[in-house]
Amino acid sequence: MKPELPWHSRFDLLGITFLIFLLGALGALPSIEGSGRDLDYWGNLSRFTSQFFPPDWSILNRTLEGLLETVQIALVSTLLSIVISIVLSVGAARTIAPVWLLWPTRMILNVIRTIPSLLWALLAVVIVGSNPLAGVIALTFYSVGYLAKFFSETFEAADTDAQQALRSLGASPLQAFQFGLWPNARPIIWSHCLWMLEYNVRSASIIGYVGAGGIGLHLKLYAESADSWNKFSLVLLFILLIVTVLDFTGEKIRKSIRDKLEGQKI
Amino acid sequence: MSTALLTTQELGITINDRPILKSLNLSFNPGTFVAITGPSGSGKTTLLRTLAGELEPVEGKVVNYLDCPTRLAMIFQDLKLGDGATALTNVLGGSLGRHSFLSTLFRFPAQEQEKAHRLLAKFGLSGKSNQWTSTLSRGEKQRVAACRTLLTQPQLLLADEPVSSLDPALAEEILTNLSNSILKQNGCLVCALHNDEQVTKFADLVLRLDPSDPNGWMLEDLKPKEVG
Repeated sequence: MKPELPWHSRFDLLGITFLIFLLGALGALPSIEGSGRDLDYWGNLSRFTSQFFPPDWSILNRTLEGLLETVQIALVSTLLSIVISIVLSVGAARTIAPVWLLWPTRMILNVIRTIPSLLWALLAVVIVGSNPLAGVIALTFYSVGYLAKFFSETFEAADTDAQQALRSLGASPLQAFQFGLWPNARPIIWSHCLWMLEYNVRSASIIGYVGAGGIGLHLKLYAESADSWNKFSLVLLFILLIVTVLDFTGEKIRKSIRDKLEGQKI
Repeated sequence: MSTALLTTQELGITINDRPILKSLNLSFNPGTFVAITGPSGSGKTTLLRTLAGELEPVEGKVVNYLDCPTRLAMIFQDLKLGDGATALTNVLGGSLGRHSFLSTLFRFPAQEQEKAHRLLAKFGLSGKSNQWTSTLSRGEKQRVAACRTLLTQPQLLLADEPVSSLDPALAEEILTNLSNSILKQNGCLVCALHNDEQVTKFADLVLRLDPSDPNGWMLEDLKPKEVG
């Protein structure tokens, strides 16, 4: 006979969290309301979107230049944030850092994550002026908040067996980290980096809106001048293209890492 | 008679308060192959870990006469390899005790790399040295773990079922390699083994863990060996 579980046993932490989420979302519905005016939603939408077509190809060269700058901002800021994050993440990993270092580091990361990328961009523009450097600074800070958290979680979850084995075979703690823990964490860490690069290309295309370099500035100009929505749509088209290419290659690389890691199971 | 590398005095061990063996007095002498046998769960791994100093004995003591603690090394039953590192890097991990952090930060010294390559070749893994360990089969991983431990150049090698995933022919080859590397340098090899044929072929001394025995163990001297 199957033993009956008490009814409340299915309410574990995960179940309760989901329930709270669901209640919260449904409870929020009544407060989400429109302007109350009687607007022709569909008419507005179709009139507006029809201005996007056909895209204006005359600005192709300028757009490509802007895109190149966007990708450059993303590349540099991702590289910088990886270097900073690896250092910070060691301080934020429960399994590695002592408590006096753990909480301050985590607090700093929380603060960094609280500030949205557009605000970082504004801050950077105020400090270094309106140029791509501002974009690099903004996205570096923004990415560190996420990457360092991901990295530290990866270190915490990584298999520590090899590290212990190397310690017992005579390696120093730092050597055991480099050759025991790092190889196990590295594939996951690279895949986080790849994700961050994709994300930064997307972010880099919007922060230009506040003057931090890249294609965002073009978007702002076209959005603010009359009858330029067809130029706006060409820019969007190219952002879509580049993000899709990144997404596709990123997925390929991540899959090959996964396959390699899973290896031959016996 | 040469001096022992390690001795146990009235050693007693338990697993979760269940007594496994008691009153074990045994010397591990240079040039000796000691096999530890017994059914699964009879305490082979616990005994090896106690000998290695990882676990405190419940009774008696283990006395280590080695001049340097790193001369004792272990091949772990669960291997404990770095999955995202190549077979070569894993093997080179065995040499870390001899070098400082800075001297191995970017690359290993050439002579260590050479030794590691030689070991991998000896264990039939030359073609796999640059493959991630996660992509190797269990038997191949087992050999990588053996190479890593051999590279520490141990005088006393404790091997926990080092050939359990290998076919009999390969298992014998690996055991031959292990015993050649250790015994020729006047070391002592202690091996947990399951296969009786391997035991009679290689071991000089067999410690049988036997739950039916009042002390939990029986010692059998196989010298002189029938097979050379």
